[in-house]
Amino acid sequence: MEAGLSTRQSPILEINQLEKIYDNGVHALRNINFKVYEGDFLGIIGLSGSGKSTLLRSINRLIEPTSGSVKFKGSELTNLSSSKLREKRRKIGMIFQHFNLVNRKSVLANVLSGRLGSYSTWQTLNGSYPIDEIERAKEYLRIVGLEDKADNRADELSGGQKQRVAIARSLMQSPDILLADEPVASLDPATSHSVMRYLERANQEFGMTILCNLHFLSLVRRYTTRVIALKDGEIVFEGLPQAIDEQWFREIYGEEAVEVEIN
Amino acid sequence: MSEITANHQFDQKIQIEKRWAFWKGVVLSISMVFYFGFAIRYLFLQFADYYEFDPGFLGDSTILLYLIPASVVLGYLWSTSPQSLGRILAEKTNRVLKNFFDKKTTAGWIYTPSGIFTGLVLLVTAAIGVNVTGMSIRKLFEADGFNGAINIFSKILSPNWGILDLVLTYMVETIFIALMATLIAVPIAFTLSFFAAKNLMRESRRTIGVYYLVRLIANFTRSVEPLVWAIIFSVWVGVGPFAGSMALMLHSVASLLKLYSEQIENIDHGPVEAIEATGANRIQVVWYAVVPQIVLPFLSFTIYRWDINVRMATVIGLVGGGGVGTLLMQYQGLAKWNEVGTAVFAIAAVVWLMDTMSAKVREAIY
Repeated sequence: MEAGLSTRQSPILEINQLEKIYDNGVHALRNINFKVYEGDFLGIIGLSGSGKSTLLRSINRLIEPTSGSVKFKGSELTNLSSSKLREKRRKIGMIFQHFNLVNRKSVLANVLSGRLGSYSTWQTLNGSYPIDEIERAKEYLRIVGLEDKADNRADELSGGQKQRVAIARSLMQSPDILLADEPVASLDPATSHSVMRYLERANQEFGMTILCNLHFLSLVRRYTTRVIALKDGEIVFEGLPQAIDEQWFREIYGEEAVEVEIN
Repeated sequence: MSEITANHQFDQKIQIEKRWAFWKGVVLSISMVFYFGFAIRYLFLQFADYYEFDPGFLGDSTILLYLIPASVVLGYLWSTSPQSLGRILAEKTNRVLKNFFDKKTTAGWIYTPSGIFTGLVLLVTAAIGVNVTGMSIRKLFEADGFNGAINIFSKILSPNWGILDLVLTYMVETIFIALMATLIAVPIAFTLSFFAAKNLMRESRRTIGVYYLVRLIANFTRSVEPLVWAIIFSVWVGVGPFAGSMALMLHSVASLLKLYSEQIENIDHGPVEAIEATGANRIQVVWYAVVPQIVLPFLSFTIYRWDINVRMATVIGLVGGGGVGTLLMQYQGLAKWNEVGTAVFAIAAVVWLMDTMSAKVREAIY
């Protein structure tokens, strides 16, 4: 256990004995146990297919876990009815490798869609939001440096800009935690760092707890405060990013692996 | 340990699918052998009838009783070969097995006994087809009929332009029949299409039940020709344009529903996932993540449908659905071929115009 852990309060997210077996027989998660504390920037690493994406999606139940428990701020998520689950999802932001913006809508509309869960169906069908929500959306667009793109269509943006819009969309939720599924995997190195810095700001300035799947160890060392490593659906490492030395690296990525840097 | 169980489960699944596909193949093979035997006998009897000789024991219908067990045995033996058509069809269409299907065995397949037998089945089917439809080169060139056709053709090709204003009045009716059918069909098909899209309805058993119900009703409605619907509606609401537009409307709902829902099944799932993750409800997810992805293809399908409906409205008029088709039918009944010609030309012109317009509009949308 890390130093200073005992001084913290109860965990914001607590995962116990989480298992996921897909219909085709793939055992994607095996006995996953870990805790995340408020203010953590948790990196999750592992090879493709090691279960990183399944793990994140099992938390907000975009993928239904087979068994085990996910406790978010002390309340169990796995047994919630769909309406109760939607309530909890409002407090869990998520960004994706392929950004998942609605391409034909404006950037502003995409940011505002982060608030859909807080309004009734009728209020949202005509696409008009209260003026203060629009102001907030513009404010978050300013924070991610895209205030001048508010009226552009989302598919006119570059990859890095799309991911920043996605970050603004999740900021609209004022989430307690943010799940980031390989947010920079389809971006170039320079853009990757710019996106990661926005996540860092969200973590430090807005106090958002972040769980982030990452491929590059250099990004993990630079940005995360704690890291877990998955291999074949199991946690094989948990600790500080600095603790991942050559030996651990081979353990996680296999004997043949060579580390590549992203600068 | 658990990985071994998972692999074991998968192996078992494949075994079950293989057995299922084998028996499916057996049933297919047996039916094919039975059909072949039945067809050969039918052709032989026709032949005997034509040349007036006694077909012998083949003429006795009890032969069919022997054909059934014979085809069961032969069909089973045939399907023990993985090359048999039944097995290939069953395994290639199986959702699990098709990934493991050995493609090498299909090369040069037509030269195998199975391939030759399949060829024979097709040949026999074509022979029966000629017989059943009564095809005859001789009749096609008989002087009497041929001259009659030429007579009608020459009259149709010299239309009576004096009735053009009357024809155009009915043409307008036809266009409106198509328009109203499309206008009413679109919102109904739009709403139902979300319930007929598998990717949105997989959630639970109840929703997948709704999916199958909607698909079933739509498939039934679509498989009944609009001509038949027109007859039903002309009894229901009386002969005329109302019956015609109701018939077209029903058929349009079913056809658009199929096109719309397939479009929904092809959307990018990413935005759906993202909007779901914000805590939005089902309707909001559909409205914000699905609908923006489908509006343009929907618009294009809709215009295409209107185009089809204009063409169909003329045909529907033939059975009392109103419009220019009804006019055409009346002139045809009176053998007024010059007037029929006017209607035919008007229809051709409007169909050509609609076709070009709809192509242009759809091009502009994409």
